[in-house]
Amino acid sequence: MVTQILDPTDERVPIKRSLTPRPEALHGTVALLDISKPRGDVFLDRLEQLLHERAPGVKTRRFMKPTVAKPAPEPIKQAILEECDFVIEALAD
Amino acid sequence: MHPPTKFSLRNADGQEMQFPPQGPVLLALVKEDCETCNLTLPLLEAVHRATDDGLDVWVAVQKSDDIPILKDRHDLTMPLLDDDALDLSYETDIDTVPTLFLYDEAQNCTLQTFGFDKHEWREIASESMALAGRPDGDTAIDWDALPVQRPGCGARNYEPGVYERLQAIKSGDLLSRLVDLAAKDDIHEFMYEQGYTDGFPVVPPTRERVWQMLQGTSRDPQEEVAIMPPNLAPITVEKIAINAVMAGAKPEYMPSIITLVEIACTETFNIHGVLATTMGATPVGIFNGPIRDRIGMNYLHGALGSGNRANAAIGRALRLCARNVGGSLPGGTDRATQGGPHRLTMNFAENEDANPWDSLAVERGFAPTDDVATLMAMSGGPATIADERSRDGRGIAGTLAMSMSCMQDPKSPMVDTLVVLSPDHAGIFGRSGWSKDDVRECIMEETSVPLKDRLRSEDAGCGLPPEIVERFGGEAALDMPIAKFRDKSNIILVVAGSAAAKFSTILGGWATGVYSTPTSSKIGV
Repeated sequence: MVTQILDPTDERVPIKRSLTPRPEALHGTVALLDISKPRGDVFLDRLEQLLHERAPGVKTRRFMKPTVAKPAPEPIKQAILEECDFVIEALAD
Repeated sequence: MHPPTKFSLRNADGQEMQFPPQGPVLLALVKEDCETCNLTLPLLEAVHRATDDGLDVWVAVQKSDDIPILKDRHDLTMPLLDDDALDLSYETDIDTVPTLFLYDEAQNCTLQTFGFDKHEWREIASESMALAGRPDGDTAIDWDALPVQRPGCGARNYEPGVYERLQAIKSGDLLSRLVDLAAKDDIHEFMYEQGYTDGFPVVPPTRERVWQMLQGTSRDPQEEVAIMPPNLAPITVEKIAINAVMAGAKPEYMPSIITLVEIACTETFNIHGVLATTMGATPVGIFNGPIRDRIGMNYLHGALGSGNRANAAIGRALRLCARNVGGSLPGGTDRATQGGPHRLTMNFAENEDANPWDSLAVERGFAPTDDVATLMAMSGGPATIADERSRDGRGIAGTLAMSMSCMQDPKSPMVDTLVVLSPDHAGIFGRSGWSKDDVRECIMEETSVPLKDRLRSEDAGCGLPPEIVERFGGEAALDMPIAKFRDKSNIILVVAGSAAAKFSTILGGWATGVYSTPTSSKIGV
């Protein structure tokens, strides 16, 4: 009878990260990240338009992943982190 | 074998005995079901009685239960030590019983032997008496009545199953966490509950099996082979071996599995994207070279399907590594909308004998004698193309092209494909004098349609957006022929299967060369 097996996983304990405190109100700059999926631009165009209408003081900045197939390159993630207060990512189709 | 210098074992009364004792000592290792051990135990007892307290005679028995049996059978009074755990046998690395070591007063091993060689045993008995300061004849052993020689028996520590268990526990090769099962746990149910499987049962990765699996490679078990996406986890040879056991692999598949893991984790192959895509892609392994026969891969009847251990287990091992080490789980980072059965395992060898052209590996720059694995990302499962009528290359190429024209959807260009030709179809191409490039160029031409037919329409929403026409130069470009495939190099041709009938197979790629590039590597050790 099998009583012991070897762990097939990477055995790493996931790092616990807490969410950044949610701001009370929308302000500053919102990053709109297009992951290069079809119609992501349509979704973000509409969202950007609504943001400008309903939150006139809020700026938007558009970002785009070079390929849908790989994680966002570090410079894009860094720019969003340093230059923006919020990020909205348009996932999938 | 290595004469032990220090150990501690319990005697028949349960008392701990520390080796070496003071003064000279004769140490034997025996087991009960060995005729030669039973021949020699009375000799050791005779030496023990004759040397009295001038020399210790200790006998380590390889099984606890055998101690009282041997004691009664031979009326033994010398200390019988319990080596049931085989600690001493393993450290000493004996492969035969009886094995005998004689140590002098300074605890130096001066004589040793195994089995029964009358000359050597007599010499050891004489030397024992000398060390004890007793006359040689006091043993009263009738040497003339003994045979000249008797072979020993295989030591228990080298028995199948026992050897692997000892190596797994004592070699220090295995550092993965041991997962304990409760007494009432069913191992298979337990492994499902832990999320270790792909939906089918797996072989439990016991230490013995994993150690055995590691014997299939000369690489260090703790060597880091790659960083496995999506969790970017380091994957060692040991972790690959654990998942290989679970996949049902044999040790001789290990170099192939390691190579597939290495390829999968390259930037060019991009296993992260392959397994994360909503399109449901999967790595497809194709093997070339002598290794196909060496490990018994199937490239004949049913090569793309079930029934062959190497084909199935090698591909499955890669998928289990991605799942268990990389953390690619359906609904987690594996976002496949539907997936397909080929995502369990899709791995085969090329039928090089039936290939009228260079094999895939040779085409990609390797020698015919190289063992090569190629990994490519396919999102479409195998689709059968039937053409039992064509008798020349043009006919088959046309059939293939028409079948491919609807890949992904009827309008989209820029797709890519893996074509697995049956020997019958490949043979017709060969006899017609068609090269691989002739086939590709014909497919490019036959799948070309005017740009206007690749645009979205009221009838079908697939295809190119109308605004793209401007990029091609406006309305004048509407009749420009646009091929189905990005480039002829995106039509990959291999040969597999038996000469059974005129059926071939196409698989749809996953933006080959853009999202994921087919990558080949020589299979290592």
